Amino acid sequence: MLTTISLSLLVQALINGLLLGLVYTLISLGLSLTLGIMGVVNVAHSTLIMLGSYLALELLQRLGLDPIISAVIAVPVFFLIGVLLERLLISRVARTSQTTGLLVLFGVLVVIEGAAILRWTTDTQVLSVSYTNASLTLAGIAIAVPRLIAAAIALVLVWLLDTFLRSTLYGKAIRAMAQNRDAARISGIDTDRLSLLVFGLATATAGVGGVVLAMIFPFDPQDHYRWLAWAFLVVVIGGLGSIRNTLLAGLLIGLIETVSSVLFPFQYVYFIVYLLLVVALLVRGQGLAGSQSRAL
Amino acid sequence: MMRHAADVPAGSGAPSPNGLASNANAGLSMRGVTAGYYSHDLVLNNVSLNARPGKVTVLLGPNGSGKSTALRVLYGLLRPRSGQILLDGREITTVPPQRRLALGMALLPQGRSVFPELTVQENLEIGGWLLGRDRRRLAAALEAVYARYPLLKEWRQKQAGSLSGGQQRLVEIGRMMVADPRVILIDEPSVGLAPVIVDQVYEEIARLKEEQRTILLVDQNVRAAVALADYIYTLEYGRNNLEGERGAFEDRLEALIKSWLRF
Repeated sequence: MLTTISLSLLVQALINGLLLGLVYTLISLGLSLTLGIMGVVNVAHSTLIMLGSYLALELLQRLGLDPIISAVIAVPVFFLIGVLLERLLISRVARTSQTTGLLVLFGVLVVIEGAAILRWTTDTQVLSVSYTNASLTLAGIAIAVPRLIAAAIALVLVWLLDTFLRSTLYGKAIRAMAQNRDAARISGIDTDRLSLLVFGLATATAGVGGVVLAMIFPFDPQDHYRWLAWAFLVVVIGGLGSIRNTLLAGLLIGLIETVSSVLFPFQYVYFIVYLLLVVALLVRGQGLAGSQSRAL
Repeated sequence: MMRHAADVPAGSGAPSPNGLASNANAGLSMRGVTAGYYSHDLVLNNVSLNARPGKVTVLLGPNGSGKSTALRVLYGLLRPRSGQILLDGREITTVPPQRRLALGMALLPQGRSVFPELTVQENLEIGGWLLGRDRRRLAAALEAVYARYPLLKEWRQKQAGSLSGGQQRLVEIGRMMVADPRVILIDEPSVGLAPVIVDQVYEEIARLKEEQRTILLVDQNVRAAVALADYIYTLEYGRNNLEGERGAFEDRLEALIKSWLRF
């Protein structure tokens, strides 16, 4: 009896882990893109995720919009925010040094977080919709409907981005720019304009990531650091420049989180995940930005 | 006839005394360019060069004399502190590198510059970026390159990074040729390649010359470069040193190379 319960618990944990992993992939993609393609360590990434959550909240409270629709609306809204950030800030500091960029983006983090506290206070919020507490039960295994929807949205976005980067000429140009910026420029590619596109896409994934996170977790303006750590972990494990590797790493983190929460007391889960971050950084000796190369 | 830069009257304003004053505006030239990465350490000091149309112009000099920097300035990858870059008499000093291809210029950089994680075909598509929105023209340009370099067609589905150094060089040349450039800047084409491949690379440059393209070649492989050259410049310590037709240099090659070995 005990073994059947723990087995179904484990299967449930595995399924939940995969669903969460898809969401973690989505919130990490932007970080991987900006770091891998532009060499920008966007520490403000998680505040953009947090803004995505509040976009969903506002649209729900003011207009009664379902978060699924908010996820669609978040794409152009956050794309625009990303383009503005790149044009007004990143493009001006990126050429100086990575450290300067890091400081400026830390400033962005502080400003967004402060503004969010002023606007929404530090109260914890939840998105409450008709299916918030619904679950599907299959062969004794219960799956929360919001997680299923969040994972489906994440999967669609990951697939779209992967297809864009693989199959379109713009996508190939972005990959070319990531692999050799100078060679891309001498081939006629306007790398400044492509950087706008990349930052816009990265920010759009953060915004949608925030919407889907809000479907499954409570949120406040200050708990985004957790997602920053998660996203960095996914990027460190998955490496840069490959959406498929990011997906694998995201699924792995999701599985580790849910499975360890079945096997160990709750408070150990964070410890395990952060330990994994330390180990991953040690193993990947070259650090985060190890894959930059220059030909000229 | 070979001249020393010191023979040139200072401040004459003419690009450089190549005996073709009437033709001074054609081709690609730099006039009085001073450039460097730091203000206290200038790599080029008042350098003037002219790559005449349809000719091979070779830029020689010992290590650190500023040859590669001259190419970077000519292609817009480094902005000069003073001086001008002219293409057929039109000033292009501040035109960014991504817009040079549209002017009919191309640069074959030193060392590996393929996009290693893209396939050969994708590398060529990037070379045709400017035609990108015109699918049919892009396809035609790729077919032309495949016809010119049949090996590339065989490798089209391979990842460029999985090819050997010599094969990658061919991909780089193919990628450059998608845009069918008139003026080609080549930086150290033989560095890091097996001798057999090196010969093929120079044969290809000879073919580009036959096709009447304007070529500016920077090379440490002095003999091979001079064999192709119509006109030769040498740089020393970032300044113009000697220049002249190939004939004037052939007898002096040994002495020249020896003098550079002192550096």
